[in-house]
Amino acid sequence: MPFSLSQPSRSRNPAPSKPGPHSSQPGFNSVSKYFMSARGRCPQSQHVEEAGVFPEGHTGCSAREPRQHLSPSQSRLTGALPAQDSGSSPAARWPPCSGGAGGVAGGAGGGNDFQWCFSQVKGAIDEDVAEADIISTVEFNYSGDLLATGDKGGRVVIFQREQENKSRPHSRGEYNVYSTFQSHEPEFDYLKSLEIEEKINKIRWLPQQNAAHFLLSTNDKTIKLWKISERDKRAEGYNLKDEDGRLRDPFRITALRVPILKPMDLMVEASPRRIFANAHTYHINSISVNSDHETYLSADDLRINLWHLEITDRSFNIVDIKPANMEELTEVITAAEFHPHHCNVFVYSSSKGTIRLCDMRSSALCDRHSKFFEEPEDPSSRSFFSEIISSISDVKFSHSGRYMMTRDYLSVKVWDLNMENRPVETYQVHEYLRSKLCSLYENDCIFDKFECCWNGSDSAIMTGSYNNFFRMFDRNTRRDITLEASRESSKPRAILKPRKVCTGGKRKKDEISVDSLDFNKKILHTAWHPTENIIAVAATNNLYIFQDKIN
Amino acid sequence: MCQQQLHCSISPCDRWSWCLPVKWFMLGRGLKRKLSDYEENMAGLSSAFDSSRNLTYPLKRQLVLNMCLTKLQTYKMLVEPDLHRSVLIANTVRQIQEEMRQETSQQPVNVCNGLGLHSQNYTGVDSAGISAQLLSGVNQQESNCCDSRSAEEPIENGLLMVSDDDMSSAISSILKDLDFMEDISPPTCLVPAGDDQPKSPENVGLKLEDDRQELKGAECVFGSFEISNSTSYLKDLAIDDIFEDIDTSMYDSDFCCPPQMPSRVPSATTEETLKTFPTCNSSSTNSIQICRTDLSELDHIMEILVGS
Repeated sequence: MPFSLSQPSRSRNPAPSKPGPHSSQPGFNSVSKYFMSARGRCPQSQHVEEAGVFPEGHTGCSAREPRQHLSPSQSRLTGALPAQDSGSSPAARWPPCSGGAGGVAGGAGGGNDFQWCFSQVKGAIDEDVAEADIISTVEFNYSGDLLATGDKGGRVVIFQREQENKSRPHSRGEYNVYSTFQSHEPEFDYLKSLEIEEKINKIRWLPQQNAAHFLLSTNDKTIKLWKISERDKRAEGYNLKDEDGRLRDPFRITALRVPILKPMDLMVEASPRRIFANAHTYHINSISVNSDHETYLSADDLRINLWHLEITDRSFNIVDIKPANMEELTEVITAAEFHPHHCNVFVYSSSKGTIRLCDMRSSALCDRHSKFFEEPEDPSSRSFFSEIISSISDVKFSHSGRYMMTRDYLSVKVWDLNMENRPVETYQVHEYLRSKLCSLYENDCIFDKFECCWNGSDSAIMTGSYNNFFRMFDRNTRRDITLEASRESSKPRAILKPRKVCTGGKRKKDEISVDSLDFNKKILHTAWHPTENIIAVAATNNLYIFQDKIN
Repeated sequence: MCQQQLHCSISPCDRWSWCLPVKWFMLGRGLKRKLSDYEENMAGLSSAFDSSRNLTYPLKRQLVLNMCLTKLQTYKMLVEPDLHRSVLIANTVRQIQEEMRQETSQQPVNVCNGLGLHSQNYTGVDSAGISAQLLSGVNQQESNCCDSRSAEEPIENGLLMVSDDDMSSAISSILKDLDFMEDISPPTCLVPAGDDQPKSPENVGLKLEDDRQELKGAECVFGSFEISNSTSYLKDLAIDDIFEDIDTSMYDSDFCCPPQMPSRVPSATTEETLKTFPTCNSSSTNSIQICRTDLSELDHIMEILVGS
């Protein structure tokens, strides 16, 4: 019986000096995961090798046993297999990886349910929000120690988690600014008389292989690979240069010395290592790093290109849905992602609410899908706006790779990759907006692109809504909660109160009516720490970080 | 890229011009709509759509269609319209169009029922418009997004409770708005021939042509993406016009071929273009004459040189 896996212990050095077992040798992934899964372990071998720790008193966890026997403090260290994703079903070839605890705040639930509390907020407080400060993407790195945000002004800000302070056990590691750099500048396309926005559409981290960190950031047209490295030593005692940098005359040198390294204040440098440009005619909406750590894809409205991280002057076009006659265009690509374990599989979603899974081994141009996911329309809920609200704004694979989640305007759907005709789970995010669709269409809010994310163990999902509300759904208990990212509830370690929208009839106290919602305050971008219960929520120009409460 | 603005993207003027008639259908709602508050709450036409039961299905549909067309027009004016949004809106327009056509095919049954009131007014206008569409043989794109809605509600004749006056006022307001939209030069791929745009608002038939124009325009919106992904002025010009001011009289060998003016643009647009680019167009006509003058002079000179 495969046991649940635990998160690496907290004392692990966040910057491994040697590559972990997950090296980037080509072919390693494909071989290793079959080996791992045959043993019933998680494909992410790091979790197996480094920490096989279970909490005291834990005698075993059957797949169907609920997680309540773990106390909240222990739930951080171990992750139980979600009850649904039992590895025993024959259809699941890859038992889900549970790298950490998951779950949703229970509110007034049982004793072991945890609650979300405020941790930090980043960003200016003024009412007047500069357009350039609006956050446009949020992403944790693979270890969760770094949190990157991109904004409309083309800047990337990276926060790093401080090491926990033993003397203050109640304050978990806080995120502080680690590096800030200008990733993209506004450009002007002279041929088309168009300005290319510098807004960062997506950031994706690369798995760490040495002391430096790498990320891909993209605007509408250009993708850049950035290297973020630390410098804490400098060389002193050059022979040909003075201390202030002036060159010395070689003839004056009478003695040679060996330069020595001296410590200096930590400096974090970001430098662009690769620039992948001129491959997209339309606006890039997604990038996704492949599990082979060598290639990545970039998707615009009509095409998807495959790149090699080392090669900037060439890319392969793997999907092209542009019709011969543009007037016949009825569908665009809205998001794309590589499978987390299979380096030949990717999916892309469309504006018609369909998802196509493609296998790059089948042909060079993956215009013909291997799987086609679409839910038949419910005729009773048909309206003029049915197609618009069915457009998928985000698609994300679960960490296990067995499921994927799609976000359309009103709901989040979880799909099993083995079942194409309907999702296995559907969660309503803000169904009360269904009667307001015309108004939302008029003010263009109906075109808002909300993102969604999984927690580390795939047991919970999160997505944003309006009025600075965001929603979390627990897949096991089927409970959901609505929380608000606001300055009012921004006291340190203040527990977030669940919010409720009154859909009609009498409005109870503390409820907010649909007409009072502020549709300018929308939470489009959220991120969940890969192993812990820490979430980052972007509310216009502010970044909120919430953590689960430690008793 | 269509910037995600914090405030509504359509200016209040556009919005108000065609929502006026609907106010009359909001019986006693007492909604106050101030322009300054508009962006803060969603009062106005759309809330009438969402909440009022007095709006009939065809009227709702027409309002949605108008909104779609307005948006498409607005996007075309943008430097770089969002392809995703344009596709979604165009699909909605096609869907409504398809539905209207399906209802037209059921229309003869309704007329025979002798329900003269609505067939005279709103629905009649629609049906005449749609039959005009069918007669003119407008070639629609493949019905792709339209899922089969055989159970789709036929026109609920009984629900039309509005008066004649209200209807005609509604129609004239919509026409005025379509007029307003006509002033913006439509894309060059519109079918031009003979489509002079009569500007008489009283002519109910105008609404049909306008609808047809706009619907065709909706489908042509992607043509601009093809060319330049923008609505830059280059698209409105005939390509040759750009080069007309270059004097190539010395090099033209066949003197009798005038520059090719593509007859793609309707006459209204041509005037528009002429207004905007006077130098180019005037020189185009001049250059023909210059060309011929120069050539005759050249002949003359040649004769002198040859001495014959």
